[in-house]
Amino acid sequence: MNCETCQELIHDLIDGSISRSDESILNTHLNDCLDCTSVRQDLASIIGFCRTRRGEYEAPPNEHALWLRIRNVIEAEMGGRTVAQTERRPSFLGRLMGHSWELSLPQLTAAAVAIVLLVSLTTVVGLRRWQTAVPVATAGVVNTSADLNDRFAQRQQAISYWNQRVELNKTRWSAEMREVFDRNMRVIEQTVATSLEELKKNPHDEISEQMLNESLNDKLALLKEFSDL
Amino acid sequence: MQVPTRVSRARAVFESSPTPMKFGFLTWPPIGAGVRTGLLAGGLVFALLVFAAFETVNAQQKINKRYPGGKNVRVELRNISGTIVVESWNKDEIRLTATIESKNAQVVPKQVNDCLMIDVVSDNRGRTDIGDINFKLTVPVSSSVDLETRSGNINVSNIRSGLVRAYVSSEGDIELSNISATQVIAKNVTGDIFFDGEFSSGGTYEFKSNKGNITIRIPGNSAFRLVASSPARRIALNDFWNNNFKNQDGRKMVGDVGDGRSSVSVMNFSGQITFMRR
Repeated sequence: MNCETCQELIHDLIDGSISRSDESILNTHLNDCLDCTSVRQDLASIIGFCRTRRGEYEAPPNEHALWLRIRNVIEAEMGGRTVAQTERRPSFLGRLMGHSWELSLPQLTAAAVAIVLLVSLTTVVGLRRWQTAVPVATAGVVNTSADLNDRFAQRQQAISYWNQRVELNKTRWSAEMREVFDRNMRVIEQTVATSLEELKKNPHDEISEQMLNESLNDKLALLKEFSDL
Repeated sequence: MQVPTRVSRARAVFESSPTPMKFGFLTWPPIGAGVRTGLLAGGLVFALLVFAAFETVNAQQKINKRYPGGKNVRVELRNISGTIVVESWNKDEIRLTATIESKNAQVVPKQVNDCLMIDVVSDNRGRTDIGDINFKLTVPVSSSVDLETRSGNINVSNIRSGLVRAYVSSEGDIELSNISATQVIAKNVTGDIFFDGEFSSGGTYEFKSNKGNITIRIPGNSAFRLVASSPARRIALNDFWNNNFKNQDGRKMVGDVGDGRSSVSVMNFSGQITFMRR
C-alpha cells in the first residue's frame, strides 16, 4: 500500500466505515510508515476535539462572507506562489543557452553519427516521395482534364449570361450590325469547335488548350462589346 | 437590203404622222399612250432617286475640329462602326475630322489635359441605327493612340510613341505603317493585320486575329523574343528563322531573334503569319 491510499483509508478508519480487510492492510502500513501515523494522529485529535467541544462555539454572523474572505486569502496566497514559481523557473531557451556544452569525444562521435543517419533517412524518404509523385502527376493529368471541363463549363456560364444580354439588345441593332455580329460569332465558334475536337483527340495538347482558352476569351469579349450597344 | 434602224423607223413614223406632237420648242413624234406613261414614270423615279441621294448627302454630318496639345498627347477613340484613320504631322495640335452617316448619331469629343477622348458608344447609348462614323485624326508624331471599334478598318501611320493600340471587336483590317512604339497591340476577329515598323528595345508587341492574315514587316536587324501560334500551321518567319527556334509541330514557334530585347506575340487561328524584312 502506498501513502496516498493509506491517507484516504485513514478517513474511513476514523469514521468507522472501513472494512476489515482494508483495516488490517492499513494497520500493517501504519506500523511501518511514520508520516501516515502522524497524519492519523492529527486527524484523530482534530475530530476528537470537535466531538468533545460540539455546541460550544457560535456560528459567525455572516458565514458566507467569512468563507469568501477565506477563499480570497487562499487564492491570493496560491497566486503569489505561482508567480514566485514562474519567476524562479528559467525559460527553456535560457536553460539551453545557460547549459555548458562540454562533450567528450565519444559523445561528439555519437552526435555526428546521429546527424549523418538523420540526413540519410531524410534523403531516402524524400527520394521515395519524389518517385511516388510521378504516378500522382500522371493521375494529375486526368484531374487536368477534369479541370479543363470545369473551366470550360464556368466560361460557358459567363458566355450564356452575356449572350442573353446580347439577345435582349439585338432587336435594336441595324440589320447590318446583326449580320456582322453573327458572322464573327460563327468564326469564333468554329475556332472553339476545332480546339475542342483537337482536345478530344489529344487531351494533353497544350496548344489546343491555349487556343480554346483564347477563343473563349474572344467570344466573351465579342459578347461584352456588343451587349453594350 | 438596208436594215431599218431605230432612228430611221422613228423618222418614218414622224414624217407619216398627220399631226406631230409639239411641246414648246420641242417637236415630239406621235407616240402611244403607254409609252408616254412609261416615260413619265421613269422620269418620276429618276427624280426621286436624285432627291434621295441629295437627302442622304444632306443627312450626313461632318465634324472638323482642332484641339491644342503638347508633343506627347494621347488619343482615345471608341467607335461603333466605320473607318478610323490616324496620321501624324509636325504640329502640337490634334485635328479631328468625322463624317457621320446618320443624323441620329452624336460625337462629343472631350479633352482632359493632354488626352482627347471620343467615346461614340457612350455618346450614343440607347440610340438605334447610328450608322457608320468615319474618323480621320491628325496628331503629333509622338502621340499615344488607343483605338477601338466594333467593326471597320483602322489605319495608323507615322507614329513614334509609347502606345499604338488598334482593336476591332469583330471585322475590319488593321494597318499600322511606319510605327515605332514601345507597346503595340493589334487585334481583330476577321480581317488582315499589317504592321510595318520597328520593335523598340524592351517593347511588347501583340498581334492576334481569328481569320485573316498577319504580316509583320520589320528591319532585318530587329531583336526580339517571338511566340507565334497558328493551329493551321501557317507560320513563315523567312529571314528571321534560326535554328534556335523551338518548333512545336509547326503550330507554335518560340525563340529569340537577335538578343531578344523586345517581346513579340503573334496568334492567328486560321490565317497566315508572315514576317518580312523591311
